[in-house]
Amino acid sequence: MSEIGNDTDFRAALESLDEGQQRKSAAFFVQHVLHLSTDKRLERVIRTVADADATKEELAAALKLAHAATFDSHARCGAEGHWSDQAGYFVARAAVAAATPVALARAGGPAWQAAMSARMAYTSMLIEDAPNQSAHTECEWQYQALSDFLNA
Amino acid sequence: MTEIELLSWARGPGLQIATIVFVAGVVIRGFEILVLGRKANLAEAKGREMSSGLKTMITRTVPDRTTFQRSGITIVLGYIFHIGLFVICFLSAPHILFLKDIIGFGWPSLPTAIIDAFAVVTIIALLATLVNRLTNKVMRYLTNFEDLLTWFLTFLPVITGYIAFHRIGFTAPSLLAMHILSVELLLIVFPFTKLMHAFTLFIARWYNGAISGYKGVAS
Amino acid sequence: MSASIEKGINALKRQVDSTVAAFFSSCVHCGLCAQACLFYTETGDPKRTPINKTEPLRRIWKSEFTLMGRVGKVLGLTKKVDDKFLEEWQELVYDSCTMCGRCSMVCPVGNDITMMIRKTREGMAAAGQAPAGLIGATTRAVTIGSPMGVKWPALRAQIKHVEEDTGLKVPVDVEDVEYMLLLSSMEIMNFPEFIEAVAKIFNRAGATWTISSEAFEATNSGIQIGVSDIAAELVQRIVDVADKLRVKTVISPECGHAYTAIRWDGPNLVGKAFNFKVRHILEVLDDLRKEGRLKMASKESQKLTYHDPCQISRRGGVIDEPRNLINMVSDNFVEMPDAGKMNWCCGAGGGVSANERADGLRLKVFERKKAQIDAIKPDAIISACSNCRIHLEDGLEEYNMDIPLLSLTETLAEHLAND
Repeated sequence: MSEIGNDTDFRAALESLDEGQQRKSAAFFVQHVLHLSTDKRLERVIRTVADADATKEELAAALKLAHAATFDSHARCGAEGHWSDQAGYFVARAAVAAATPVALARAGGPAWQAAMSARMAYTSMLIEDAPNQSAHTECEWQYQALSDFLNA
Repeated sequence: MTEIELLSWARGPGLQIATIVFVAGVVIRGFEILVLGRKANLAEAKGREMSSGLKTMITRTVPDRTTFQRSGITIVLGYIFHIGLFVICFLSAPHILFLKDIIGFGWPSLPTAIIDAFAVVTIIALLATLVNRLTNKVMRYLTNFEDLLTWFLTFLPVITGYIAFHRIGFTAPSLLAMHILSVELLLIVFPFTKLMHAFTLFIARWYNGAISGYKGVAS
Repeated sequence: MSASIEKGINALKRQVDSTVAAFFSSCVHCGLCAQACLFYTETGDPKRTPINKTEPLRRIWKSEFTLMGRVGKVLGLTKKVDDKFLEEWQELVYDSCTMCGRCSMVCPVGNDITMMIRKTREGMAAAGQAPAGLIGATTRAVTIGSPMGVKWPALRAQIKHVEEDTGLKVPVDVEDVEYMLLLSSMEIMNFPEFIEAVAKIFNRAGATWTISSEAFEATNSGIQIGVSDIAAELVQRIVDVADKLRVKTVISPECGHAYTAIRWDGPNLVGKAFNFKVRHILEVLDDLRKEGRLKMASKESQKLTYHDPCQISRRGGVIDEPRNLINMVSDNFVEMPDAGKMNWCCGAGGGVSANERADGLRLKVFERKKAQIDAIKPDAIISACSNCRIHLEDGLEEYNMDIPLLSLTETLAEHLAND
């Protein structure tokens, strides 16, 4: 598997994975930005998603929990928005994507959606914390992570 | 004052006073509304104001399905007594004669038996309307003195007219005088109450239709 | 914003025109408006009857603009408009009304009660009786440019992300283009995929467009709180930039009240007709569809329904366009009961969702929407207002209903044809 260097290859590679592999890769995308959320429930969600032996019921419960996390963390219309809180919102959305079965996922599949939301979480954190930006971008880390996963 | 004198007064000066107050009152109320004007709309129009306004003046008469499901009684009772009042006022022989004296021409009337039936139905409907107003949660909350007064002043002519026509109780001249006086009372109070809706609702409906029509929404 | 009861009363006086006078003159206390209002139907509390919410305005109209009212005032018979009264009415005027407009559609004498409630808010706000959450939002809108405090660097970061995702450029501050896109803070913060969707669709359609770094906010808190001066200032910022960039059309995004504010109220607030057109994103997309510049490569298979955002459908006039667009992308589109111009409000617009005190009430009245959804049991709900989406999701979650909310624009972008 050659190195992934752009989004077209990245997305194509993700979409070609089977359901189990999608879940696993989605899980590690979310894991990487989990520290941007203060919602402890998401740790449980990701643990379930990453578990290859998780049953359908357990995954459904994890999805529900992730949904609840998004409702509790989204910015309210008209309320003062805090981007650090928004980061948590996008982590929750990434968890929702990761826990969604392939058949019900939005375009690109669960892993792609999880990766996108994870990047949004990172972007949100940067908006609040601009002076402390580190050089690496989230998507570069994601390309590398996926390459490693596929080569393993 | 004898009953004949009372009747003469009611038909003469009483009627003149009531008519003047009524006409002047309606004109003043209408003027009060229209003189305020409204600002021109500077937004780009999507539909047409005038045709939508005119249409709404008529179509608002028909309630939408959901509203009818939820407020059927209020709506049906309302229509019964409004239609009843119209028939009694304008299609009964004695009233047509009365109007002919004033405006110079008359028109065919409905048979007495039919007018009578309408009168009875209208009386019952008006009584039911009062009960509805006092028992319906929303109406009870909204109801104030003016609502009860206007109900009473609307009911009085109908009941006194019915009694006068059937000569129940007092002698004919007294009954007729009471009926005419009750109408005059209604005319005098009319312009200063919500009864003005008889005229202003056309303005209101036009505005409503115009506002919606401007945006391209059928109202 | 210094407030006082005198300012409040004067503000109410300024609101009275021939429409207000005609409406109050015609009201016969029939109570039909209550049955059209979800804040009454779901709570059964008669004080939430729409016409009752306008009582502050009615008292001023009666005592200042009618003969009998003025006579009554001289005789000391007028009902007072004081701080205590307005404080009692605050919950009715703000918490219990989204200005959805249903009452105005059913009043048998033709009253536009919604408009009267909007006018009543002018008096409430001037008297200092607006909810804290709305005051905060409005202050942020005026000083920062966004009611949620979203500044240009934040939007620029979102744009950068969108560009990376799509490989497309999002034009910023470009002159002489066809469209200038506005965005609501809600979209920027919660649904940045909307920007992606527009970028993809416009790129495919060959439409020229831009976002302005100086005036990108679509949400108009002035409209929600009811302070026309502030609403006008927020609109003027957009007008200035649209004129400077010489755009042909300003696009209002998937936000309900933003459309009302810029499309229908805008020119009247600033006192001048615009030099540009204003269209909702759905109107623009429908135009593209009619011109053959919007083509779908695939369709949604799940059973879809459409929630009409009140300010876009009933109060906005954009009713057919979303349906034309949904029919492009679905063969399984089912309308809910009362769909179209008589659809029921989600319960969160007009400042209600910015008002934490109204949270409980907002979730309660959602039951009206729930009843509509229960009647058709869709797989997903499409809408075109970010606030409706979030609030419907909130409500569905509260009732353990697992039905996703989709944005119409985003759904179209997902199925966009590749040629």
